[in-house]
Amino acid sequence: MSVEARATRAPFAYHHELLLLIVLVLVVGFLAVGTDKFLTVDNMLNQGRLMTEVALVALPMTFIIITGGIDLSVGSIMGLAAIMLGVAWKNFGLPLELAIVFSVAVGAVAGFFNGLLIIRVRVPPLIMTLATLALYRGLAEGISQARSVRGYPEWFFVLGQGEVFGVPTQLWILLVAIIIFWIVLAKTTFGRSLYAIGYNEEAARFSGIPVDRIKLIIYSLSGTMAGLAGYIFVSRVSTTRSDMGTGLELDAIAAVVLGGTSIFGGVGTIAGTVIGFTLIQLLKNGLALSGVKGDATIVVIGTVLILSILVSNFLQRRRGAGG
Amino acid sequence: MKRLAIIIATTTALTGAALAADPWDGGDDLPTNPLACDDTPGTVAAKDYDGGQTTGAADKSGKEITLIDIPKLVGVGYFAATTEGMRQAAEELGNVKVTTDGPTEANIDDQITFIDNYVTQGVDGVLFAANDPVAIAPVLKKALGKGIHVVGYDANSDPDAREWFVNQAEFNGIAKSLIDQMAAEIGDEGKFAIVTSTFTTPNQARWIAEMQAYQESCHPKMEWLETVEAQEDNILSFNQANTLINKYGDDLDGIFGMTSVATPAAAEAVTQAGACGETAVVGLATPNAMRPYVESGCVKSVVLWSPVDLGYAAVYVMRAVVDGDLSPGDTEVEAGRLGKLQVVNGSEILLGSPFVFDKSNVNDFDF
Repeated sequence: MSVEARATRAPFAYHHELLLLIVLVLVVGFLAVGTDKFLTVDNMLNQGRLMTEVALVALPMTFIIITGGIDLSVGSIMGLAAIMLGVAWKNFGLPLELAIVFSVAVGAVAGFFNGLLIIRVRVPPLIMTLATLALYRGLAEGISQARSVRGYPEWFFVLGQGEVFGVPTQLWILLVAIIIFWIVLAKTTFGRSLYAIGYNEEAARFSGIPVDRIKLIIYSLSGTMAGLAGYIFVSRVSTTRSDMGTGLELDAIAAVVLGGTSIFGGVGTIAGTVIGFTLIQLLKNGLALSGVKGDATIVVIGTVLILSILVSNFLQRRRGAGG
Repeated sequence: MKRLAIIIATTTALTGAALAADPWDGGDDLPTNPLACDDTPGTVAAKDYDGGQTTGAADKSGKEITLIDIPKLVGVGYFAATTEGMRQAAEELGNVKVTTDGPTEANIDDQITFIDNYVTQGVDGVLFAANDPVAIAPVLKKALGKGIHVVGYDANSDPDAREWFVNQAEFNGIAKSLIDQMAAEIGDEGKFAIVTSTFTTPNQARWIAEMQAYQESCHPKMEWLETVEAQEDNILSFNQANTLINKYGDDLDGIFGMTSVATPAAAEAVTQAGACGETAVVGLATPNAMRPYVESGCVKSVVLWSPVDLGYAAVYVMRAVVDGDLSPGDTEVEAGRLGKLQVVNGSEILLGSPFVFDKSNVNDFDF
């Protein structure tokens, strides 16, 4: 059974990413013809800078969705972590370096709390993280007293606004993160366990996979990455506000799903997710540069999402009928 | 049971007393400068130019320029009116092309991305109304660094991230108008609540801080109950106003709407609750949105400047900057049909004093 499942899954995943890659190349080509401002090194690097926060959150989101779960609270965790950075520095008087570590840790704890309730109380992840979406945002607003924290020292902005070897600093972090997440998912037992859980959680349990521990790890990971994204975001926009990261979860989930990860679990790759968030970002940017207005851009993104799901469903069904 | 009630009442009273000393929610912590209680005009301290400068801007004096306007959000009456003003100015000038584009929600990240894209695309000037004064600064500085002129209107950024800012009305002036109107309607001992966009939105935060300062010095017995956030969202504003009415009942004498969305929504909530005449609504809003409530008598007066003039002035200021007619140190600028506008506060251009419209004149306006 499991051998058969792998055999049908692997070629499909391959097809979807190839298809996406072709779409990506077509889109880039099309947009590059539309305006000469699009396909420049400057613009591409800048787009990388702008998409880093979503991308960092989309990576662990891929893990979670592969297990058949979801994390809707990432945007709120990002807001909470950002606020805690500011508050820890300004109000608790921590050195800024420690405040940064503290804020990422807050993200990790928030994610851990999600995971803990999901495995202990067996609340469905959708419900649990919907609740913490509200809870964490409320905490962020309450703790910050809705006042923003500003006036960070110059070195703090290197991560969000600076460059290393001519490439935006945060892109290096993203690159490292992509490699690590890719290796973990594709090459380790941990990664294979994620697929197993997504395919059949009960079966995974009976096969001796520590399902609960793995879930706890991936939700904590998701919180940690949201915390990191919060730090990067604060550094990029040089201020802390409690409404930061609103709607981030939808962007991240859209990227993951566009990348071919099945919302029902068991299917998905990091490569797909990477193409997914790149495609969405470049579409948004390219359309804007070609003079398409903001509201029309959202329509195009929505259409692309629907089309990608239709096409992948079609391919899946044809494969099912053929095999 | 009785004891419990006493405890709860005492606690509430204590908390209330503790809160009264605190700044109102939604105000900022910058120094305030309340106007005198009568009509003595405020003093304006002279201040050196504190705006930014472009580097390597092409000399387009007298030539056609392309401008992009990024308001806080698109699709609301207020910014549709500023867009209309910009269109009028562009038509009069004849050598300006201006396009409005922006996020559909008042979201800082989206707004930054929009500006970033237009900076990449290459325009001669950026007009903006900031969702956050600090968060928007890096991308505006980037524009200045690429030789793109930057002029703000409606909601300011850090001064050094833009060249000029067209100020629709001074904060203390608006605050005085709002509080005086409310006091006239609910009396000097009335209790009121505030519906704002978010606690950190720059204009609203400034107004609320100034309102508190002015109320404490000129109408000290009025009582602030609560400030609630409603983004700039119709349904949320309505719900928040509705919650306030249900929560405070007869204790609530008046509601301030701090945005052009919150004020009509609050008026609608009061109307639907059948509380017209018992709960006053005073706030900032556009005439078209408020006309039904002003005509029905549910709302007595609305405070505003003309957003059409605001957009109009922003384009004239931009043109003057490009043509070299407005440079650091100047004290006034020519703005078409608005005549000469004063430079205040270093690098701001003042549109004029706020305007109060009521039943007698609401039909003279269409925006």
